Amino acid sequence: MAGQDIPTDPAKALEYKEKGNKCFQAGDYAGAEELYSQAISYDPKNSLLYTNRSLALLKLHRFALAITLSQQCISLSPPPSISLKAHFQLAQAQIALHHPSEALESAKIAHALCVEEVIVGGKGANNIGPITELVLRCKKELWEVREEERLRGRGGLLSELIAGLERDREAYVYVLRGEGKENEVEKVEERYRGKIEELRRTFELAGYNAQEAKKRKVPDWCLDDITFSVMLDPVVTKTGQSYDRSSIMEHLKRSPTDPLTREPLRVEDLRPNLALKAACEEFLEENGWAVDW
Amino acid sequence: MATSFATKRLSKELNKINGQLPPGISLVKADDFQEWQLDIKVLDNNPIYLNQTYRLMFKFSSSYPIEPPEVTFLACPDRPIPMHPHIYSNGIICLDLLGMQGWSPVQNVESICMSLQSMLTGNTKNERPEGDQQFVANNRRRPRDIDFYYHDNTV
Repeated sequence: MAGQDIPTDPAKALEYKEKGNKCFQAGDYAGAEELYSQAISYDPKNSLLYTNRSLALLKLHRFALAITLSQQCISLSPPPSISLKAHFQLAQAQIALHHPSEALESAKIAHALCVEEVIVGGKGANNIGPITELVLRCKKELWEVREEERLRGRGGLLSELIAGLERDREAYVYVLRGEGKENEVEKVEERYRGKIEELRRTFELAGYNAQEAKKRKVPDWCLDDITFSVMLDPVVTKTGQSYDRSSIMEHLKRSPTDPLTREPLRVEDLRPNLALKAACEEFLEENGWAVDW
Repeated sequence: MATSFATKRLSKELNKINGQLPPGISLVKADDFQEWQLDIKVLDNNPIYLNQTYRLMFKFSSSYPIEPPEVTFLACPDRPIPMHPHIYSNGIICLDLLGMQGWSPVQNVESICMSLQSMLTGNTKNERPEGDQQFVANNRRRPRDIDFYYHDNTV
């Protein structure tokens, strides 16, 4: 970045931004990134410039720097539409670097800001689809991390139990040898081998059955009837049917009608379905795989 | 978006279809997410359709199911175009729910097949739409762009 002593010059910043936009549109993301960086040095209070640069950085897969830029943007307390962009880009960079819990936090803020935009009819409303998808992806990655830990934990328990059995066996054999009963050692060792074998089998069976029992089926109540995906933010129409906000919005753009009755339906008529939202959230907590069933 | 709206939804439909389909409906071909073929049969004893199987062709745009699929009957050996006052002899179907106005994204491939089955089941007229020959000879438009004139709502 250029030195801090450059005098603020918004007009010059705008000039650089325009040049940057041209590069960006032509697919020259490295060039655009450089120009946006110049623009920021001439007008470091202009939050929009940060989102432009961070978007270019995302395209260049320079995720760590994209995170910094998004965070700088957010710290300027930008207007909602820019804050929405910054959080969305922040979440994308965080998930790319496999930080699912941070990414989920950012994506949730982006989603909340986007719902506001939907309500006031702002430009950011167009992002509801991709943002919804990102929130779900973060949830899935978080679940994968937890699932891996759980499996590792179970493996750990098994090795502890086996170690315990082996300690028992050693103590037993030690006593036998002390009493001069060498001929019984073989039998005792055989018995413990059997026990350890049995223990392993039991664990295997438990793991297998647990997966079999959880037949990986997504219940209909948490599925959106338009995308057939698990709902993140269900909204209900007056028929009582719920849809995910992102997919019903997509439908209303084309046709302002209720998908079931074809009666007129406006965005303002949609009501959040909080109980269903909580239920879907709980289901995903346990079944992160369902994001991609 | 990484994968299109349509691809995601269609892969889920395909999962379901591969599991089970209602009687008289069977999947013939679904090699990609642009074009599928299914066979349907009429299940009652309607003499017009007795012992016949009909082939349906579905074409999906990338914005399915927000946009309707293009659904036509396909003529091939052993698969004629069914006689119906709303089905042209080139396979184009005039059905409200497949049009831009009548379509709803909660419809799906299975529900469309069932609607077409019942459209045939309920029909008693062994005839083509009015002006069939002329329409078939002149039409160059895609079915979804045609404003069908629903001249006879009794069938």
